[in-house]
Amino acid sequence: MHPFPGKTMKDKLKTTIDYLKSRGVNYGDIRYVRAETESIHLTDETVDTLSKDIDQGFGIRVIADGAWGFASSSICTAAEMRKVAHRAINIARASAMTKKADVRLAEAKPQSGTYATPFDSDPFKVRLKPKIDLLLQVNKILKKDKRIKVAESSMGFFRMHQVFCSTEGAEIEQDILQSGAGYTATAVEGSEVQKRSYPNSHGGDFGTGGYEIVERMNLLDHAERVREEAIALLSAPPLPAGRRDIVIGGSQMALQVHESCGHPTELDRVLGTEISLAGGSFLQLDKLNQLQYGSRIVTIVADATVPGGLGTFGYDDEGIPARRDLLVREGLFVGYQTSRETALAVGRTSSGAMRADGWNRLPLIRMTNINLEPGSAEFDDLLADTDGGLLLETNKSWSIDDQRLNFMFGVEIAWDIKNGQKGQIYKNPLYTGITPEFWNSCDAICNEKYWHVWGVPNCGKGEPMQTARVAHGTAPARFRNIEVGVTK
Amino acid sequence: MIGRERLWDTLGKMVQSSPADHTEAVFVGVESGLTRFANNYIHQNVAETNSKTYFRVALGRKIGVAATNAFSLNSLKQALKNALQIARNQQENPYFKGIPGQAAYPQLDTFDEKTARFTPRQRASKLKTIFKKAANKNMALAGSFSSGAGELVVINTAGVTAYQPFSSAATAVIAMTDTSSGYAQGLSRRVGDLDIRAIATKAIDRAHRCRNPKEMKPDQYEVVLEPAAVASLLEWISYIGFGSKAFQEETSFMAGKIGQKITGDQLTIYDDATDQAGQAFPFDFEGVSKRKVELITQGVARSVVYDSLSAAKENKASTGNALTPDASGEGGIALNLFVEGGEDSLDDLIGGVENGLLVTRFHYINGYIDTPNAVLTGMTRDGLMRIKNGKLRGGVKNLRFTDSMLRAFSDIRGITAGRELVSSWWDALGCITAPAVRLGSFKFTGKTDF
Repeated sequence: MHPFPGKTMKDKLKTTIDYLKSRGVNYGDIRYVRAETESIHLTDETVDTLSKDIDQGFGIRVIADGAWGFASSSICTAAEMRKVAHRAINIARASAMTKKADVRLAEAKPQSGTYATPFDSDPFKVRLKPKIDLLLQVNKILKKDKRIKVAESSMGFFRMHQVFCSTEGAEIEQDILQSGAGYTATAVEGSEVQKRSYPNSHGGDFGTGGYEIVERMNLLDHAERVREEAIALLSAPPLPAGRRDIVIGGSQMALQVHESCGHPTELDRVLGTEISLAGGSFLQLDKLNQLQYGSRIVTIVADATVPGGLGTFGYDDEGIPARRDLLVREGLFVGYQTSRETALAVGRTSSGAMRADGWNRLPLIRMTNINLEPGSAEFDDLLADTDGGLLLETNKSWSIDDQRLNFMFGVEIAWDIKNGQKGQIYKNPLYTGITPEFWNSCDAICNEKYWHVWGVPNCGKGEPMQTARVAHGTAPARFRNIEVGVTK
Repeated sequence: MIGRERLWDTLGKMVQSSPADHTEAVFVGVESGLTRFANNYIHQNVAETNSKTYFRVALGRKIGVAATNAFSLNSLKQALKNALQIARNQQENPYFKGIPGQAAYPQLDTFDEKTARFTPRQRASKLKTIFKKAANKNMALAGSFSSGAGELVVINTAGVTAYQPFSSAATAVIAMTDTSSGYAQGLSRRVGDLDIRAIATKAIDRAHRCRNPKEMKPDQYEVVLEPAAVASLLEWISYIGFGSKAFQEETSFMAGKIGQKITGDQLTIYDDATDQAGQAFPFDFEGVSKRKVELITQGVARSVVYDSLSAAKENKASTGNALTPDASGEGGIALNLFVEGGEDSLDDLIGGVENGLLVTRFHYINGYIDTPNAVLTGMTRDGLMRIKNGKLRGGVKNLRFTDSMLRAFSDIRGITAGRELVSSWWDALGCITAPAVRLGSFKFTGKTDF
């Protein structure tokens, strides 16, 4: 039996669409969302978060008098939908008081269809006890040395049923399932604090799929290494400032792509409509098909179809089918992430990037899976060929200017590369650069064996703030002559 | 808005019906609207009616939390059932000593009917006037204007029955020319207190004065940080240092330093949700009464903030800084921060600087680099200005800073008497009340192209 009351809800949505049509709106859509979240977080041997959240509601987006309005409610009755539709129209008319031109949308064929995330094991049916027991075992291994002050481990599961209907005739139902886990050991000695994480920092790794994602992580197998590396960092020297060739590990590459390619290729930023919070973009319209964003080996795509990515779905929140688009082709900047409205600015159709953080948020241009295509290098060969360089792994901090040019990242650990091996480790490593200079210095990317789609479940954008679940397929890559260790 | 009587009645019955040893219901409801603008027109305009009800139950020391955003009897019953099921599968929490009991709350004025009823059309009318003003100066405005109201309820089996309505209005305006930008913002529980024209004028003036910015090399400079800049640093300083979790895990710069001097004498920071000068609120999400908590007093580390669970780890009482039940693992968080004002004006601070920078605000700060030393990095944004011989000398291209805040705030050369309320991550239930501050040196480590 389907766990959600989709059919009944769809009828209510279609009735509301009829109402919007009767009010003569230029365009309207309604999106019902029911989301369920299970969160488990352990600190040492204490389960300090074990919660389940159910969240549902609907949002109505209209263009009336040539301007946008959006209203939403958690009360999912037919009467409330009509009331909220009326409110959305009034809001659009308020927006129209300041319009310069009527809003237009790029052509899109109205879709009818369904999509469901493929999965093997429903994480909501896996009992809590084995999940908690697994995390307890991880924390026990991490805590075997008293210098590990805190062991934190967590799992998170999210499922969403969504129904979308529009005045153009779209009728779409989707069921998305996402799963993930991770852990961090915090070592403390005197005033020194160091962390190591697996499989990634900031909560771990996530993807679309079931509990098999957690099982594939083999969480227990890495706990001893994580513990020992955290302890070793306590006595490691800080990374000396200077210029070095660097090899960046896969998970940090994911955040590098996220901040320096994902966000600046969002066309709403380019057109200035995100200035008020997140900022703009250096990739202005005159740079399209002109700017050598990176070296010839750098090809970056927006791909909502890649299996297992946290940004993988059937349709975006404007009803556009999931697709794959080039953003950077052999180093040349060739594409934006767009909506139906913004795509017109570059004479294209929507790239299917409109996504909302739930029913109560307006869809915005959000990353799907922004992937750096794999190269040809073997990881061991890359280290052997980078003598005197550094290997940097696992994100610790991130910061970038509001046009996405000057960035600074911190990672958990750095190693000297000597004779093809990892040598001396360094604590608190930082590297910094200017986006196009940095990507043009990329001269090696590891091949598909080392390529993984990393989930980033906490991408913030918009007002009110929206948190998007996005992903980045990346492999370790090398960059030449990069400024590192800049805190002094 | 559902209203006190219905909320107390419905949630009270739910709590009383629970078979758990301890049961707590927390309700947060909002009705809000937000208008975003860019290029002198409104491009996003949204409204939301939503609520969330959390149940936290304890079977002995086994705690379960579940939440729903549907305020129907069936949904509430299901959420309570989910919480009980989770508790049955839980481990014992050795620090749990029961849920907080009945408390007396300060009487605070947190709700303004006019703000609750402020319409999208009213917001658009006010914005239309500033768009015209900007266009006349060949500038484009971007920003947001929000207004709305909500209600918070905490009811538990230990005798807490708390209800408080609240309202909030906020605006942020960025004015842009081809080569520069300026920023100003406002926040109040009363929309009538927001002078949109004055806020826009301030942003427009700064953008105008920063046209054709010059480049300065990254170096250590004396700085005057305006309130929005101070608040954005404090937001991160609080997150990595003033909460009980970071303190107890010894990642905080406050750990092991209570009673010790950690910054210059002039710096006093406290959390105080009872001060109506900020976004006051009488109780936290556990129904514990709010009070003033001294964090840093005249440069000396004094305390961090606690919820009941984290306080129990140190055999202390909660300071009234609990988050919602699903975030109880985060410990206490300071939501109503104040930096004590000084005696200067902004002109006084600028007038004392021989060669330095005036910082409007920062962008994309990150504080995870080295938390025991409170090292932050971030970019300047929207109106960085050169100060030479006590005078403002035009705009400067943006710079990246990377510095220990303990070091930077060890040399405070002036603080304004006037303070601004600045919005923060936690929206309508708190804010940061900050003055402008003059610092003897601030490390800039990188530059950008604009």
